[in-house]
Amino acid sequence: MNIPNPSTAPAAGEYAGDEVSAIVLDPGYSTIRAGFAGEDVPKSVCPSFYGQSDSGEYHFGENAIHAPVGGLDIKNYWGADGIVEDWDTAAKLWEYAITTRLTGARPGDPSRNGLNDGNANGENMDVEMEGLENNEKPLDDSPLLVTEPGWNSAKAREKYIEIAMEDWGTPAFFLQKTGVLAAFASGKASGIIIDVGASHTSVTPVLDGMVLRKGVQNSPLAGNFVSDQIRTSFKQSTPEIPLTPHYLIKAKFPVDAGAPSQATYREFKTPPTDSFRLNEEERILTEFKESVVEVWPGPGRFNNGTNEELAKNTPGRPYEMPDGWNQVFGPERFRVAEGLFDASAALPSDTAPAPKPEQTIPRLVQAAIQQVDADQRPMLLSNIVVTGGSTLLYKFSERLNYEINAIYPSTRNKLIAPGSVVERKYAAWIGGSILASLGSFHQLWISKKEYEEHGAGIVEKRCR
Amino acid sequence: MPPFKDDQIIIIAPGSETTVAQLGLPESFTPARLRVRSRMFPGEKEGEFEPYKIRRKQEKSAPNGEAQDDTKPSTDGEPDVQWEEDRVSEEGAIWPIQEGRIVDWPCFFALITHVYNTLNPPFHAAILLITQPAWTPKEHERLTQFFFEKFKTPAFGLMDAALATSWAYGVHTATIVDVGKAKTDVTAISEFIPHTQGRIVSLAGCGGEAFTQGLLSKLKSKGLNRDMCEQLKRSPICELLPPGTPLPGSGDAPEQRRITNPASAASTGAAGSGPAAAAAIGNVPRGPGADTEVGEDLGVDENEGVLDVASIVASGKMNEYLAKKEKEKLEKVSVKKKGGPAPQANKPVRLPNARLEKATFLYEDHALLDTLKGMNLNTQDMADAKSALDEGPNRKGHENGDNGEPASTIEANGVGESSSTTKRTGSIRREIDVGNERFMADGDNTLEKIADAVHRAISSVDDVSKRSDLWDQLIICGNGSKLRGFKDALLQTIQTKYLVSPSSATIFTSEIPSNISTPAGTGANTPQPQLGPHGGSQVNPLLLAATTAQTQHLMPHGSNPSMSGMSQNTHSSHGQTPTSIKFVKPPEYFPEWKDVGFDESAFLGAQVAAKVIFVVDQGQTKGYMTRPDYNDQGPQGIHDYSL
Repeated sequence: MNIPNPSTAPAAGEYAGDEVSAIVLDPGYSTIRAGFAGEDVPKSVCPSFYGQSDSGEYHFGENAIHAPVGGLDIKNYWGADGIVEDWDTAAKLWEYAITTRLTGARPGDPSRNGLNDGNANGENMDVEMEGLENNEKPLDDSPLLVTEPGWNSAKAREKYIEIAMEDWGTPAFFLQKTGVLAAFASGKASGIIIDVGASHTSVTPVLDGMVLRKGVQNSPLAGNFVSDQIRTSFKQSTPEIPLTPHYLIKAKFPVDAGAPSQATYREFKTPPTDSFRLNEEERILTEFKESVVEVWPGPGRFNNGTNEELAKNTPGRPYEMPDGWNQVFGPERFRVAEGLFDASAALPSDTAPAPKPEQTIPRLVQAAIQQVDADQRPMLLSNIVVTGGSTLLYKFSERLNYEINAIYPSTRNKLIAPGSVVERKYAAWIGGSILASLGSFHQLWISKKEYEEHGAGIVEKRCR
Repeated sequence: MPPFKDDQIIIIAPGSETTVAQLGLPESFTPARLRVRSRMFPGEKEGEFEPYKIRRKQEKSAPNGEAQDDTKPSTDGEPDVQWEEDRVSEEGAIWPIQEGRIVDWPCFFALITHVYNTLNPPFHAAILLITQPAWTPKEHERLTQFFFEKFKTPAFGLMDAALATSWAYGVHTATIVDVGKAKTDVTAISEFIPHTQGRIVSLAGCGGEAFTQGLLSKLKSKGLNRDMCEQLKRSPICELLPPGTPLPGSGDAPEQRRITNPASAASTGAAGSGPAAAAAIGNVPRGPGADTEVGEDLGVDENEGVLDVASIVASGKMNEYLAKKEKEKLEKVSVKKKGGPAPQANKPVRLPNARLEKATFLYEDHALLDTLKGMNLNTQDMADAKSALDEGPNRKGHENGDNGEPASTIEANGVGESSSTTKRTGSIRREIDVGNERFMADGDNTLEKIADAVHRAISSVDDVSKRSDLWDQLIICGNGSKLRGFKDALLQTIQTKYLVSPSSATIFTSEIPSNISTPAGTGANTPQPQLGPHGGSQVNPLLLAATTAQTQHLMPHGSNPSMSGMSQNTHSSHGQTPTSIKFVKPPEYFPEWKDVGFDESAFLGAQVAAKVIFVVDQGQTKGYMTRPDYNDQGPQGIHDYSL
């Protein structure tokens, strides 16, 4: 398949005659990415977390979930198995992501009142402008490409098309697995895609644009696991490292490293919920991951031989908490990420089960490769695409390179880790953008007519 | 030959409160010439809009100022109805932009049409529209269609408001905090490209309106209404003090007692400073402690709070009120003469506003004016009533001197009015004084919310190495940020909450960026102890590096070709940001803008951009869409052209 370079705009002739302005939706555990096909970066990136107040009212979007309001529960619509669990909210949240930043909200903000009830705009809006028909549903004129995890259930897939067709009224729909799209984003039709996201790590073998379903592996050792390891590490350190999110702090004052903080705190009439606090703590952990955590780059595992001694001799990295507490983190900054590669090195956590050895990334790759014909393995191993926000951990790729070379010393293994952070984070979306802007996209999609004829089951036949 | 001349360019910047526009680019860029309140009034027919309120001239007076139904021009039919345009009133107005979003499209288009017609442009005029961050791409298309089809413009361009601000300041990397009426947008821009992911769009409840509401919640009990609070906010006496500054009169501020007028203490019994005294509004000295308000009979009324003159007038007691007023004035003058020497003694003590417990501002009573108009007085009566009720500077002029009121107060006030509320003349002004509530505009932690939004916006910039630059290039703009002291208070809030101080654990020891070399087991690369904090005579370069986060140049980039992407994610010695937070200095070379401030710098940026895209580069950068382009590609093509 001829895939254009993502950094250059396709020539006009490569489009399907005229612009279809398809929308690409890439929902993930941490963020929902949405944007117009043909663009190089999603215009709308909206958190998958949402707030629900005591009265059941939904609060969507970045601004709402970070406002310290009492009685606001922060939730996520994804299930623990990496498949959408709360469909009602998912549909609303996705619609929010699309309408707020791409298509514009309908009058009366459909995300608030009576979502998807069609005739939201009763009054005739287009007085000055003829030619724009009143859209009854949010996506009446945009074909839609949605991404799904490689291990999605058949029932869940039908649900996707139902939402798109019934609720949003999209004229055409296509479902594609994130693995394939991430490969497209790197300009590959075949390869093995290692996607380390927030809740799940997945390894997907792709051959000629098709996912080898039996080879798809996934495990919960991903970004959230690292966060949990950091929390555990904070708890186990003596004295315990306090984790106080920003919203509780009024002002902080510089203190010596390791000294107790001297911040002044904010008081709330109705204190925000625990789930709110967890979500705010996650912000700190993200920053901690960005600026402190490092993956032991090899050779050897972190626990092996003198590696730990070596790590001790490298200078530590300072980190300051929102309350001013600060410390230099030495070898422990390697250990929190080590569990991704070495289950035995994971810190025992009291909130999550201990990782199993077969859940680590090297073993996932191994298991995925095992399912592929032996003669295609070298080809796959020379196209290892690394994607997902958690692969941005410092030295992650070096370590992965080392691990894969240790398992497959005789093949020519090549890691394709996109250079820019954006391409790494949004690879699946970018692949979707490429696919949906190709002239041949209309040959792939399921049109509304086909859906009405065959029902939701068509998605199993057409979107493989 | 540039495709457009300087005088053929229209720039329109719609905002929630005010829409500014201009035809033609002057030699030296000036603030927008046309300022229109962003509101329209429903017209005679459904879907039609009028730029001014049109009310019917009536025989009878309306029962009260709020009675809308009578004045709505929908119940016509009689042939002898007379209509009059009311250019001041805003009753029943529709504000098509709310929190930066266009909520009423027909009204918005009517507003734009009104602006366009007011500019009265020549036929061949290119248009540059400043877009709010909350507008979606689909809405951009809709705007494009509207502009091409309604105005037949030969060229049309869109420019993001935040990006325009960065053009105005002439910086390629900046964090733009745009404080509007009811929202704040925070945009991180690096290398002229706004980061759309993680951009804080329309942070609700964080704008000028929040401060008005903050004042209202504090002053409601004193009888001030929203309109009064709004004008109080605009007046120079309202100020945001940096967090932690003690309010004047709130406890241990001994100098407060010094300026408290002994005469007032004697006559009113107000013992001095403190909230208790503030509560007894009307009894305590007005102005900077040099004048006393007396008149015990009136004090009864004033103790209730600020009078709702409008309702007094409406209830037909205007004459009584005027008589009272007259009496008060006379008494005041006499007292002033009597008590002249006493205030003189205090004269030299002129404190800055932040130290004054009380201050006075002039309030333009639109509600009163509306009521008067509703009463259908003839012109002479109207003028009489106005002048009788007016306490404005024209009447107060002679009092300024011995009143001790800083002359700048009134002047600044006048400037503020002329710039903020255009075409609002002939209104009635009254004096209102307020205590230290005027420093409590930020009742709802708005500053902290904005500070948090800035932190989130910068933290969501994917490229960690760019964040430190973004923190160092902070721009606060938008008319919501005009509140005195706002910018400094916000900066200080951000600094106290987010500034990362150099870690004491690494600051005095050597710190080698970890990817210079992996330490060998021999210990050869182990950092050698430095001289210590007092040992060396020079500045420790590593200390300097740690404090300025400038170590990145020490690191070799991209050691492994396949890892080149990681080089952008390299850790500096202090991976965390911000280690410093600074404002960008406004440009020096726009004298006209320097006078009014850079709150509307987006408009200045748009002027710069318009000059570049329409004139200087002769259309090479495709910064705008031409009519042939539009005919070829339709509204969707705009995305290829807008800046």
